[in-house]
Amino acid sequence: MTSPSGADARPLHAPADATALATLVREAATEGRRLRIQGAGRWLTAGASVDATDDITTTAMAGITDYTPADLTLSCGAGTTLAELDAATRAHDQWCPLLPWGDDLGTVGATAATATEGPVAARLGRPSTLVLGLECVDGTGRVIQAGGRVVKNVAGFDLTRLMIGAWGTLGVITQLHLRLRARPVIDATVLLEAPASATEALTVFARGPYAPLALMPLDPTADWWPAGVTARPVTDDPAVRHWLVRIGGNAAFVAASRAALERLGSLSTLEGETIWSAVRRHGAPHAGPGTWRWDAISRQLRERFDPHQLLNPGLLNPGLLNPGLLGAP
Amino acid sequence: MTSLATALEGIVGAAHLLTRAPSLLVYRSDGLPGHRAIPSLAVFPGSRDEVIRVVRVLADAGAPFVARGAGTGLSGGALADGIVLLGLHRLKGILTIDTEAGTATVEPGVVNATLSKAVAPLGLHYAPDPSSQSACTIGGNIAENAGGPHCLKYGVTLDHVVRATVVLPSGEVMTLDRGEGTGYDLLGAFVGSEGCFGVVLDVTVRLTPIPESVITLLADFTSVRAAADATSRIIAAGILPAALELMDQATIEAVESSVYAAGYPRDAAAVLLAEVDGAAAGLDDDAAAIERLCREAGAREVRVARDAAERARLWQGRKKAFGAMGRVAPHLVVQDAVVPRTRLADLLEEIQAIGVRHQVRVCNVFHAGDGNLHPNIPYDADDPDESARVARAMSEIMHRCIAVGGTITGEHGVGLDKLDYMTTLFSGDTLDAMCTLRDVFDPERRANPGKVVPVHSCREWLAAPAARAPVVAAGGIA
Repeated sequence: MTSPSGADARPLHAPADATALATLVREAATEGRRLRIQGAGRWLTAGASVDATDDITTTAMAGITDYTPADLTLSCGAGTTLAELDAATRAHDQWCPLLPWGDDLGTVGATAATATEGPVAARLGRPSTLVLGLECVDGTGRVIQAGGRVVKNVAGFDLTRLMIGAWGTLGVITQLHLRLRARPVIDATVLLEAPASATEALTVFARGPYAPLALMPLDPTADWWPAGVTARPVTDDPAVRHWLVRIGGNAAFVAASRAALERLGSLSTLEGETIWSAVRRHGAPHAGPGTWRWDAISRQLRERFDPHQLLNPGLLNPGLLNPGLLGAP
Repeated sequence: MTSLATALEGIVGAAHLLTRAPSLLVYRSDGLPGHRAIPSLAVFPGSRDEVIRVVRVLADAGAPFVARGAGTGLSGGALADGIVLLGLHRLKGILTIDTEAGTATVEPGVVNATLSKAVAPLGLHYAPDPSSQSACTIGGNIAENAGGPHCLKYGVTLDHVVRATVVLPSGEVMTLDRGEGTGYDLLGAFVGSEGCFGVVLDVTVRLTPIPESVITLLADFTSVRAAADATSRIIAAGILPAALELMDQATIEAVESSVYAAGYPRDAAAVLLAEVDGAAAGLDDDAAAIERLCREAGAREVRVARDAAERARLWQGRKKAFGAMGRVAPHLVVQDAVVPRTRLADLLEEIQAIGVRHQVRVCNVFHAGDGNLHPNIPYDADDPDESARVARAMSEIMHRCIAVGGTITGEHGVGLDKLDYMTTLFSGDTLDAMCTLRDVFDPERRANPGKVVPVHSCREWLAAPAARAPVVAAGGIA
């Protein structure tokens, strides 16, 4: 499938699988074309410049291909949306708690490729811990099956970790094998209003045995206030702080957590689902990768996995791009 | 002495260099019998600076080498066959402990359990706990991406490593981290690279608070299938135990007959050792749920450790199970494979049948919660007939694990022992990509040569067999 995309009118390719993508990559190498990789197109539009001739979308590689709830693992195409992943796993009281900044229209592949995490990552896992294995196509057209579907795996060198957070510049992720977790029996969100002097105690609490799933400071004087958090507190009192706290666990754990928080300030119970969606959306859009570190190893990785620099050229550091390599077969 | 030996002696001193066959014999195997090789010489630097100088001398000489920690590995990975063995056990400094950040920076030769002991007064521990933790080193744990019973909840070694300073085989020193949005995950690639990418000089690891509360349960079953079924029920119910370990009758018998006797019921077909830890509130409920699920799966009895002493005893049996098997036969092959957790019961029955067919005694003791099997066979490695039967049984077991969607190693690594399975498990393109990754770190393939990925899988290497000189990737690859 090829069609023009957007104002740039670059050809848009939507390969149906890794083999089709590998063919595209090899042709691009021969013909001197350069590829901009996208999932649902919700990340790279955020300001990162890519010097490409063609667009590749993973959206035709969507859908859950394997899901055995009792194994707590799931395999899906890179173009699968976070919303689809959420709906399928929710039906079994499970989730893959990537929950990255942004909305659920983004794809699982893009979340892994950009290593985008969200407010629960520290507790429930980052893309690099939740992705057990993946399939990708590198810049030489190799179809790579990295890792596997089981939850523990040290067979061979770790190409999975290499691809996660590489922004597609070492390979285009086409399939993923994910680790799932059971959703907490109770998933409660509270607004904690506490004196600033309680901040240290709160930090200690958050590091201890009752560590919440997420702890986020809120600023009532800021432009943004999550819809549904209750009315914005009328306060400019610097001695008062507001925190969103997400607590997950069984009934006794949540009760004990609430009791501990009540010793620090006043709590109001909130509807978590809506709020965290809003919080995550507010965290978007992703601004693109930071200033990339090009040590000798990283340069060689790029040169060996994408010798023609045809995968997202210029994205990580325009300065790296060797004009002599552009278009070279 | 060769000129290389002279140069190395100049760095570490004569007391820390072995060049004669009798003393080198100590290093002819790791924790896995069946693979034996003697290094040409062994060098033991005593400081970070000495390690760097040794690696640079080796680089100048174009000499291949194998880094080694305590030699407790179970894949034949730390064997040096006629090449230099670089031992790191003298680098045992705990350099800094940052209680604020909850991290410690240590040298590679620090013993795993020593680190936990050192930070215990601060209420912290180092969570990855391989069964060899009283001997194995952090450097070796990094090389293997080691696991352990409590990795079910806490994650494997990589999940606990923040940063590492390494010396590449070229002699260049660099610091690796997880990328964090401004770089590739070089640390993620390095951890578990089995000594093929370079040598760790120091590593910063994350420390984990000692849990407020721990409950340990022992459930006993009249069939292995029922114990495996209980495992699946616990995982499917969404409980995340700190550990969930299964031992079969052959293992129970070996443990109970040894000095490590833990009080496991000798007449049980299998026992399940389950532990939950964390906040005190709510923990009883999780333990009660585990007990109920075990009984529903057919447990005869579920016993809760009454105190720390009983818990330690229950764990001693598990952690020393490999040692206990030493009573059964002179050698023990410890196997390591992972299968989807719902396939455990079927696989265990198949493994039993394979053992019977080849007339070998399989003892299963493993991380059931992860689906990480350890079918072990006590045998006599000096008996060629028995060794051959063991090899055939192991090969069948591994191919069955691959066939049900599993993998050939969950925590022990490929080393030498599992090279042959790599071509079954991975496609040619994938193995070739692994070779590419290795070549970026070690273009001359001098660090632990011949391990992990079969050399014949590396197309570029095959295409240019004469190119033993450094492959300089920059600009030269088209």
